[in-house]
Amino acid sequence: MAQSQFAIETISLTKIFPDWWGRPRVVAVDNLNLKIHSNEIYGFLGPNGSGKTTTIKMLLNLLHPTRGASIVLGGSSDQAAVSSRIGYLPEESYLYRYLTAYETLDFYGRLFGLPNSVRKARIDTLLEMVGLAGAGNRQVGTFSKGMARRIGLAQALINDPDLLILDEPTSGMDPMGTRQMKDLLVELGNRGKTILLCSHLLADVEDICDRIGIMYGGRMQVEGSVKELLEQTGKTYIQTSRVSDAVLSQVRSILEQEQCECDIVHPMDKLESFFVRTVNRAQQEMQTTSGAGMGSGISGFLAEKEIVRQPGILDKLVTSRAAEPVKTDEQETVAVKPEKEEPVQNRELLSQLMAAKPTASGRPETARPTEPAESAEAVKEDLLNQLMDRNKPIDGSTTPIDNPK
Amino acid sequence: MNSIWAIARNTIAQALRMKIAGVVIVLLLILLPMMSMIMIGDGTLLGKLQTFSSYGLSLVGILLCILTIAISTFTLSDEIKRRQIFLVVTKPVRRWQILAGKFLGIVIVDVVLLGLFSGLIFGLTLFMPRFVAAGPDEVIKADDEFFTARMGLKVSTDEEVLQERVKQRYEKLKEERRLPETMTQVEVLTELMREERLGEQSVEVGRVRKWTFKNVYPSSDPNTMIFIRYKLDTSNAVSDVTVYGLWAAGDLTAYEQGADALTTPIYNLQKDSATRAVQEFAIPVNAVNQDGTLEVGFMNNPNLNTMTVIVQDLEVLYKVGTFSGNFWRATLLIAIRLFFLAALGITLTTWLSFPVAVLGCLVIFSAGIVNGFIMESIDGLGAGIGILYTYTIKPFLLLLPQFDGIYNPTGYIVSGRIIQWLFLLKTAAITIGLKGLILFVFGIYIFYRREVAKSVV
Repeated sequence: MAQSQFAIETISLTKIFPDWWGRPRVVAVDNLNLKIHSNEIYGFLGPNGSGKTTTIKMLLNLLHPTRGASIVLGGSSDQAAVSSRIGYLPEESYLYRYLTAYETLDFYGRLFGLPNSVRKARIDTLLEMVGLAGAGNRQVGTFSKGMARRIGLAQALINDPDLLILDEPTSGMDPMGTRQMKDLLVELGNRGKTILLCSHLLADVEDICDRIGIMYGGRMQVEGSVKELLEQTGKTYIQTSRVSDAVLSQVRSILEQEQCECDIVHPMDKLESFFVRTVNRAQQEMQTTSGAGMGSGISGFLAEKEIVRQPGILDKLVTSRAAEPVKTDEQETVAVKPEKEEPVQNRELLSQLMAAKPTASGRPETARPTEPAESAEAVKEDLLNQLMDRNKPIDGSTTPIDNPK
Repeated sequence: MNSIWAIARNTIAQALRMKIAGVVIVLLLILLPMMSMIMIGDGTLLGKLQTFSSYGLSLVGILLCILTIAISTFTLSDEIKRRQIFLVVTKPVRRWQILAGKFLGIVIVDVVLLGLFSGLIFGLTLFMPRFVAAGPDEVIKADDEFFTARMGLKVSTDEEVLQERVKQRYEKLKEERRLPETMTQVEVLTELMREERLGEQSVEVGRVRKWTFKNVYPSSDPNTMIFIRYKLDTSNAVSDVTVYGLWAAGDLTAYEQGADALTTPIYNLQKDSATRAVQEFAIPVNAVNQDGTLEVGFMNNPNLNTMTVIVQDLEVLYKVGTFSGNFWRATLLIAIRLFFLAALGITLTTWLSFPVAVLGCLVIFSAGIVNGFIMESIDGLGAGIGILYTYTIKPFLLLLPQFDGIYNPTGYIVSGRIIQWLFLLKTAAITIGLKGLILFVFGIYIFYRREVAKSVV
């Protein structure tokens, strides 16, 4: 199979859902030309109903395109050779409720045809990695959404995929899990995996992704590297350690001589506002979408209600609503903090798993996920090291990812 | 193979968690031993054995059929509905492997449950004579007629001879201008044929009729018995009278011709028989000629009877196998049904939702149970309409499975008749190998083309 330079490439990919009579009804994806490079973390963004999930389903052959084609890892995802290199986490973890966590991973491991010893070793490692080692014998039906999500991620990783397609991986996860997930994705990216990440948590995407694309109404609105899109080239941001007012006024006067406007703080534009701006612009251009539009404050029956509302109740609701984003922020902060609070074991495991250890024969892209010779012992010791290093260039001098942060 | 096996195991886990599986298992575990105790039949040991085995096997058969329909239509449709299938079809698993895995899983469940419950019936049947106070006669009768596997041979009437006779009679009536004006030609021919057939069976007062059975090859053990089974009726409409007759078996032709040396002994039996009930008597094996022919004669005793006697369903039976072998072949006959239904259910859910597929399965299953009846009614239609149906509906009906008549295992067990391996293999080849496989390939084709994630944006 000829290795294309793109891990995913779509050519005028179009999906139109017909109505009962077969007439075209909903244009879910419209002439999409997506190109995702190998070893790239790609953030696939867009409001609800913008065609992200439909695109992913077409990539995975769960839906057939109306027009156009997609090339995944140089082939089609219905070829066993291709699908054995893909890890997929759907928008919800569609797991068998009656299987235990262990049985679940065992089932998917068998579908990948992993030999017994390798499968067992990987399941143990993955269960520990996602923090469910203690719940391996519990039925998945008894899990919370976040726990199910972790199992979902574990099943996506069991075949050591070259390409990870993750649809809302952090939905329902607690902040710690989210943080872990982000760390893990960055690490996986560093180790040469290609990741297609669909998420509404823009801060996460901004942190992790190399490139992003924003969809609206089934069309790609904007695409580019996070740095390119978010950098404000008309302004200059000088970062210094604390300077005295005298120096500052000197700097200011110099800059004024150059007729530059000068502000002390130049905050970077946040992805969130950029995202909203993109969608707003699309809406102003009256582009069609089959999904939800952007809300424009309270309106309709809710607004009516507000007029007749009983004082107190809605106030409470409103305040709690307003408090929510703040809460998320707090959670985010908390999520960064727990480095010392988190169970030491977990943390260590993760770093152990991720520790870079270049392999002797690390020819990129040719390594296969399973090698029959792989012994259980070896896998157990540093499964992810192996998994992750395989695709890393031998010299290691160039990090494939140039993170803007 | 690994992935087919993984899916099969998952299907088994899924099936055993279905409530209907628990209900069927518990119901059968309670009902079968209870039935073995309370069922009496006609009061004899034989009657008890026949009633229990018949109802037991039918109950196991029907409940497992329903369970198979439920599992096979549920397993795939539920995975599609709950979207668990997303995580399966995106793995390096071919879609036919998914369907094959599902089929294998259901087959394993069926084999285990059928083995369990058939084994239960088998055990209860074997132990029944020990727990029933039955005289030695009854035990011998049960051994001869139930705990056995007998070959049954019927008199083969030469259809061509009958048709020739009908033709001649028709021509004669036509010549004599005695054809009834109110009847069509077909109706007249049908009536004449009926009369001829009846004539083959009827014995007038004081007359003797002889039937020849060919290819009778019982075991050469001199202790083997041959059973003559029949039903008597009279030309008179009065029901339930006793008919007195003299039966004879052996080389009757030579006997009649007064030959000096007979090839077989002649056995005579004076027997009173109630009409319209199946009767049976036994004769030793040496009544059969070396070339496998057996002649059976009936004399309508003029001193005791005043009516023409009609001998119906005359059959010669002799032991050719063991009860246990036959019982497990009957179980395999049930298994064939189950496997077909499993393939049917899975196929239907490749494009139908659970409720629709269940309905479809039940309709096809019921059609299979009355298939013979439908066929007969179509064949029995008038000639003009018959041709229309022969070329339109009949081919479709031939595609349906056949579960009744000779494909119904209980009939064999109740009358202690052998299910031959050749018949079993032929049935399996047609029902599973042909009809089931055609269905399954069709299901695979649909499943390959299906968008499993078809949903709104």
